[in-house]
Amino acid sequence: MHGTKFARTIRFIAAWLLVGLFFFPIYYWTSVAFRNGRDIFSRPPKIFDFEPTIANFNAVFGISFEGGVPQITPGGGNFYMAPRLWDSIVIGVGSTLIAVAIATLAAYALSRMRFKGSHHFVGWVLSTRMLPPVAVAVPMFFIYRQFNLLDTYTGMIIIHAIMNLPLAVLLMKSFFDDVPNEIDESATIDGASRWTIFRRIVLPMAKGGIAATAVLCFIFSWTEFLFALTLTQTDVRTVPVVSTTFVTSVGTAWGNMAALGAAAILPAFIFVLAVQKHLVRGLTMGSLKQ
Amino acid sequence: MSKVEFKNAQKAFGAVKVIEGLSLEIPHGSFAVLLGPSGCGKSTLLRMIAGLEKLTGGEVAIAGKRVNDVHPRDRDIAMVFQNYALYPTMKVRENIAFNLEIQKLEKREIERRVSEAADILNLRPFLDRYPKELSGGQRQRVAMGRALVREAGVFLFDEPLSNLDAKLRAHMRVEIRQLHERLGATTLYVTHDQIEAMTMADIIVLLDKGAIVQVGTPDEVYEKPNSVYVADFIGSPSMNFFDGEIEADGEEVRFRAANLSIPLEARYRGQAGKSVKLGVRPNDLHFAADGAFKGEVILSETTGAEVQIHVRIRDSDVVAVAPRTERRVHGEAVALSVPPGKVHIFDAQSERRIEPQ
Repeated sequence: MHGTKFARTIRFIAAWLLVGLFFFPIYYWTSVAFRNGRDIFSRPPKIFDFEPTIANFNAVFGISFEGGVPQITPGGGNFYMAPRLWDSIVIGVGSTLIAVAIATLAAYALSRMRFKGSHHFVGWVLSTRMLPPVAVAVPMFFIYRQFNLLDTYTGMIIIHAIMNLPLAVLLMKSFFDDVPNEIDESATIDGASRWTIFRRIVLPMAKGGIAATAVLCFIFSWTEFLFALTLTQTDVRTVPVVSTTFVTSVGTAWGNMAALGAAAILPAFIFVLAVQKHLVRGLTMGSLKQ
Repeated sequence: MSKVEFKNAQKAFGAVKVIEGLSLEIPHGSFAVLLGPSGCGKSTLLRMIAGLEKLTGGEVAIAGKRVNDVHPRDRDIAMVFQNYALYPTMKVRENIAFNLEIQKLEKREIERRVSEAADILNLRPFLDRYPKELSGGQRQRVAMGRALVREAGVFLFDEPLSNLDAKLRAHMRVEIRQLHERLGATTLYVTHDQIEAMTMADIIVLLDKGAIVQVGTPDEVYEKPNSVYVADFIGSPSMNFFDGEIEADGEEVRFRAANLSIPLEARYRGQAGKSVKLGVRPNDLHFAADGAFKGEVILSETTGAEVQIHVRIRDSDVVAVAPRTERRVHGEAVALSVPPGKVHIFDAQSERRIEPQ
């Protein structure tokens, strides 16, 4: 990180340009949520000088500030989406919890225990991700109908957990592989059982890995579209699916769609923020070995 | 009484045989060093005692009891690993107390043992720190503390000093040895460093390719190495070797090589005509005008109190260690002699020591 002042300045500018490049679409989309129709379609496009309004949020979440007091009026109109946000949260958190719990146990076993075919097992786990989801969507629909899982939280949580498991297992395995085996051996000599070693020593060491895996699982579930579209109808609908309903025969409700999109960033953002402390360590853990 | 025994012990990883039929007995209370180059099976041997590797044949016994199928925790052992294997999410105190907690000892007893170990190892100021906040030497002491509180009959050390710098290593050698004197437990110590072995051991077990080459006190393996391998491995700098023959000419018995003729002790008379390897330790070579080894100085290294002088004799290089005052310059013609009692004679074929009475 040395170099001349000039080089440092260039680097500084380049870094901010890059950040701006990534941040601008988020800003613009969020700003659309606060515009009225005229400002959305103005030409040239208005970046900052629009008249802010919360009408879009009012329609989508039933929030209004008439008389200066926030009022929540549920069930307002076709675009009332607050329950859909809740659906996404339940499915995202539920499937993440299940996927991470199963993946952690499976990955520890794959990392530490030798059993017949353990080597092939990893390849087999990975192979389930090689199938394009669309190839299983229709069969899943029939299976789900048979088991009465269509249009339920349980059904969506299961399918998202299954979808995330292979990646979560492989990811967690690499984190466990980074924990030196001598630590297990030392604990074995100390008299700890396999379960005690896992719970008291290895698991705390893999906290960062669990956080990183959880973030990925949550985001995949949060943004998943295909299964959410085919396996739900009316009771349970996730944000990506209902986003399409803003495209109607009489036009697209861009402002409302943006309001939902902007709101949908929040839970994911809060989730990442909550595990962020561990996340950074998790993502760099491999380089901190010994 | 915690003696450690191997009886015809075998270990194979798949088709690869690492240890083939090894028998060994380490008496109670002794400090045994398993010495050998990497890949010689010394760590495997230690792990077999610890119970981290299963034997594929034979028997390992601690205190006269066969322990092949005994869980590591029930073997009355404590082990210190090369990379310390401390639990990074626990404080030093918790690291040391962990196995006592597992044993479900009383809180007061745990506290007593931890503070005792902390006093012995000077760890008291660090008890509430995490391993990552400690230096290499301190971590090493925590690992020892963890072993110490178990009050085990057998201590196992797997190259514990190899991650430390030279000065600290010398210091820790003394600490480990003192700890051994104090506890009186049987200790097995694995290393590839012959200096560690020579300075610390009561018994050196020298290994090569999964088999024992020689067992003896440091003096024995140094004074009477039983093969070229041992002679070459022990001692620094290494022994000088010459290929030649033993000749008996009237009264005299001599070692003769292309450009070399050295008088030997009369007891080698019976070996006349044999092709042999002659070994001389660098410290046994002295400057003498009439010395048999004539050559030219090619390098002179000062190590402080001594100088290591490399002399080229025809096409082979010889190292001599001399006091600092005996400094020689590059290119100087010198002659070196060796007292007849200080040479080591090995069979040229089998490379075993020839030791007639």
